[in-house]
Amino acid sequence: MSAPPRPALARVALVTGKGGVGKTTVAAGLAVAQVALSGSAALVEFGDGESGLRALGRQRGVDHIVIKPEEALTRAASPLFGNGLLAKVALGNFAVKRMLKAAPALRELAMLECIRLVAAEKPRRAVIVDMPATGHGIAWLRVPRQLREVSQSGPFFELCDRVARELVTPGRCSPVVVTLPEKLVLKETLELCESMASVVGLPAARLIVNRMPTEIAHEAVVEAERIAAGDSPRATAARSLAEVLRTRETARQEALTALDDVRTGSAGLAPVLLPEAPIDPTATQVAEWLRTGGALP
Amino acid sequence: MTAPQSLPREPRVIVCAGGGGVGKTTTSAALALALARRGHRTLVVTIDPARRLADALGVTIDPLPHVVHVDPATGDRLYALMPEPKASTRTFMEFLFRDEPASLERLLANRLFQALSDALAGMHELVCMTLVARAASEHTFDYVVVDTAPSRYALDFVSYPPRLAALLESRALGFFGTLADRSGTSASGETESAAAALARKGAEAALARGLGGRLVLDLTGLFSEMLRVRERFAGLANQSSRLLLGESSRYVLVAAPTGSALADVRFLARKLEKLGRRPAGVVLNRADIAARAWAAPLLDDPGTPPALGAALRQLEAERTARTAAADQMADVLAHHLASVPRVRLPFVESRSPADIVLRLADEISSGVSVLAGA
Repeated sequence: MSAPPRPALARVALVTGKGGVGKTTVAAGLAVAQVALSGSAALVEFGDGESGLRALGRQRGVDHIVIKPEEALTRAASPLFGNGLLAKVALGNFAVKRMLKAAPALRELAMLECIRLVAAEKPRRAVIVDMPATGHGIAWLRVPRQLREVSQSGPFFELCDRVARELVTPGRCSPVVVTLPEKLVLKETLELCESMASVVGLPAARLIVNRMPTEIAHEAVVEAERIAAGDSPRATAARSLAEVLRTRETARQEALTALDDVRTGSAGLAPVLLPEAPIDPTATQVAEWLRTGGALP
Repeated sequence: MTAPQSLPREPRVIVCAGGGGVGKTTTSAALALALARRGHRTLVVTIDPARRLADALGVTIDPLPHVVHVDPATGDRLYALMPEPKASTRTFMEFLFRDEPASLERLLANRLFQALSDALAGMHELVCMTLVARAASEHTFDYVVVDTAPSRYALDFVSYPPRLAALLESRALGFFGTLADRSGTSASGETESAAAALARKGAEAALARGLGGRLVLDLTGLFSEMLRVRERFAGLANQSSRLLLGESSRYVLVAAPTGSALADVRFLARKLEKLGRRPAGVVLNRADIAARAWAAPLLDDPGTPPALGAALRQLEAERTARTAAADQMADVLAHHLASVPRVRLPFVESRSPADIVLRLADEISSGVSVLAGA
């Protein structure tokens, strides 16, 4: 079966997905793979930098850029208010602070602006962004355009416009969606991909299905069942083994069936499969999986 | 049990928090099931419902609690509430503005509201807690187990209700009011120091310049509509806060030996500390695979076919790796959260979510008193 070709990745990859699907691991792996491919890559992380460090492990060569969420706001707002000090004064205002806490869309706009700035810094470097868990929403991708519409003119409008035109547009950035091989999770992910394309006009460029159950040799299941059916002293042990192996085989089968639905879904995006590992894989290992899985040339 | 009170009894809330992918929803369901088995009327609330689990428990994604009959031992004491996160904001606004249809219409037409409503923080959580309060008043629960969203910031939601209420307090509204018409007088009659006045004027000027007049108008419009329902909103927010931050509420952190779970737990413990609370316990989920007594006889037997031998060795390697990772994690937790009790749960090898919940409920039963104070 020949998989449909995958679109080229833009220089900026926004790695997104629900909490716990392995976004950070995938982002770090992607950054390592990009370094091997194009010489340099930055892994952008919003937070304290701890999770990116752990995912990268001993891997060197990736520029690890850590942006604290509150710094993102000041950085993005500085041109808005003329300078950083005024931005700090305005953002430090109690009413504004409260509004920012209530409406995270503004923080997301600031994050996108920071990503745009990082990308502009070194025009040849690949930028991989480990996006904060956004659930299934695409609000964060719609924000620049929606707020551009609302503001219509002025420095705030220009900020939204810049982010919309220079970052959140096809060719400038590629959403990389990470998900898990479970029927309902995949279904929700597919809906997310569809609304990314139809509502934001920014189709997902990669669908990474993480933690695919490992393949169990069918021969092993058959043999375990054969011994289990006999009356040798090993029969009882073999029955327990057969049960575990069957569970695993079913898990794998269910995952494959769920993936078939994705392949026939309208997203038309060939998923990249990463195997399940009992303990966390290294970024180098993930990079290798991404290459062999076809996520990168 | 609780002493009789003149007021209707409020349930004891157990908030389960943890990073993504640690099996938090399943663990919460297992804890609730174990409590119901002990005779307590228990409600489990999933902020971010997993359809697979909802199906397995025989409940629907719905704003109303449904009784769970997955285990005969729980009788009619176990309920699950799994509200749909989508459209939460709109539903909530319709509820808030139920007596103010014209205001609701203006709000929904406000362009800024349209742009931001998808992304209002904690709105779904607030909706969930409102539903919990309603369910609690109708059913009298002993325990409510709240499964938070899979995020480091999940615990923030306990402070969202007061935060949202704070946004609507008169001083903030007054501020945005004066932005709209900078020639007007401040709505707040409070006296302010010269420095504060200077800061306010600076912020006003900077905001008006940065945002542009039209956006400021939308912003003030939004606030003036919200002002109408401020009291109702504050009432709901306070009710949620009381449930979540009340003296009897407990916090359980859930981790698994994978990904950022350990860092997430430490992060969440620090967050709790800032709220002046301590975790009641840390659950180490999927920490062990029971030693497979049956593996040895098959591995030792020279007659075992090679394919079986390979599968067995793979299983054993996985088991060793998982247990080693869990031990390491337990050590780190013992060091950093020394006084917090740990409850270790096994990795349940099953494809049925209901089966996993039932088996984990067996395993968690010895830890129930630690986690729930039951």
